[in-house]
Amino acid sequence: MVHIEFTINGQKAALDIPADITALETIRSLIGLKGTKEGCGIGECGACTINVDGKAINSCLMLGARLDGTTVVTVEGLATKENLAPVQEKFMENHGVQCGFCTPGILMSAHALLAENPDPDHKEISRALSGNLCRCTGYSQIFVSVKEAAKLTDQLNQLKKVGG
Amino acid sequence: MTDIEYIRPLNLKEALSFLWEKGEDTKIIAGGTDVMVDLRSDGLDKKYLLDISRLEELKGIELNNKELSVGAGVTLSEIYSSKILKSNALALKKSAKNFASKQIRNIATIGGNVAHSSPCGDTVPALVVHDAKALVADKKGTRLVSMEEMATKAYMSCLSPRQILVKFILTPYQGGFTDFQKIGRRRELAVSRISMAVFVKKDKDGRISFLKIGLGACTPTPCKMESVEAFLTGKIPTENLIWEAGGILAGNMIKITGRRSSAIYKEPAVQGLFMRILYPVVKS
Repeated sequence: MVHIEFTINGQKAALDIPADITALETIRSLIGLKGTKEGCGIGECGACTINVDGKAINSCLMLGARLDGTTVVTVEGLATKENLAPVQEKFMENHGVQCGFCTPGILMSAHALLAENPDPDHKEISRALSGNLCRCTGYSQIFVSVKEAAKLTDQLNQLKKVGG
Repeated sequence: MTDIEYIRPLNLKEALSFLWEKGEDTKIIAGGTDVMVDLRSDGLDKKYLLDISRLEELKGIELNNKELSVGAGVTLSEIYSSKILKSNALALKKSAKNFASKQIRNIATIGGNVAHSSPCGDTVPALVVHDAKALVADKKGTRLVSMEEMATKAYMSCLSPRQILVKFILTPYQGGFTDFQKIGRRRELAVSRISMAVFVKKDKDGRISFLKIGLGACTPTPCKMESVEAFLTGKIPTENLIWEAGGILAGNMIKITGRRSSAIYKEPAVQGLFMRILYPVVKS
């Protein structure tokens, strides 16, 4: 067993895990956050995408023990008590979701993208989401959702500035 | 559940001491994007997982005294965003652009890409072009390994269980023309069917004065293509000449691999990709 301590969605976590399990198994089975999905399990589909220290990674390809000392955000950590995150709001509004299985992963890729690049163009969105497969939407609603989320994030940031 | 043990050494010295004693029973893990796939499909036939992802000695991209070094633990995302590589090893930077997906580039390392010794490792052609040497260490010392020696066969590196790949030492190139391109079954998240890196310099008269070629995914282990380089050096590049050189390149591949069933596709595709990648040199 390996002792790990890390921050997940703003909460401290400390637990002992088997040495050979993935970050995905750690988060789903041991911590009990089931929002992160296992699709292919080999880094092809992106359903298990989480943000580790601000970067989008496939949690199925990360050793659980490597979570030690990191700051993790999963789909459960996007919304606040009062509000959905801009990406969630806009995916809902623009039908960026159908069956929903790929959605947590796509939200986390989009969330990391917007933190890095607040105004991505079509190509940049395409590159950032190319590691996420969606079998339902045909992607066009997803592009619209991410673009709209970028606008909303910008508006919220402006408001924050004005609000001082 | 297995009784595998996880070890995270604090520094390279500690890691090398551990491997000296227990290397045979140890799987090294850096980014983990290949190891985790193996772990899932077959499990690991080892007692220890040695996590070298946080070793400072394996990090960083530096240029000093005409020597460009890239730590084995540098991620593909770091390679793509490096200003030093943009101006001194552009082909390597370009090879990181469409490497797998964003999620994988954020964690996968160049050292892992090379040590895994897949014939289609995307960083390999650029490393060949830059005459890269890998600095390999064990408890007793270090040695330099060329890219051609690095893989003994497909998916088999020459590294012993006691060794760690520390960094790559590249010859930096400024100016000239350089590029990396790959052909895959789709644009993103694609395993390369063919990849190619080049660096070309022309003299005042427009003759090719210096040329390096790296061909990826076509031979089981990395090879230099010196006969093609020699054929073009000293000549003014025309469309016909580049086409002819592409034919020699494809011929060299067939000499190494024999006529496999994929040759009917790969032979003209290698020639065509060579033409496409070097066409800007004809025009300029």
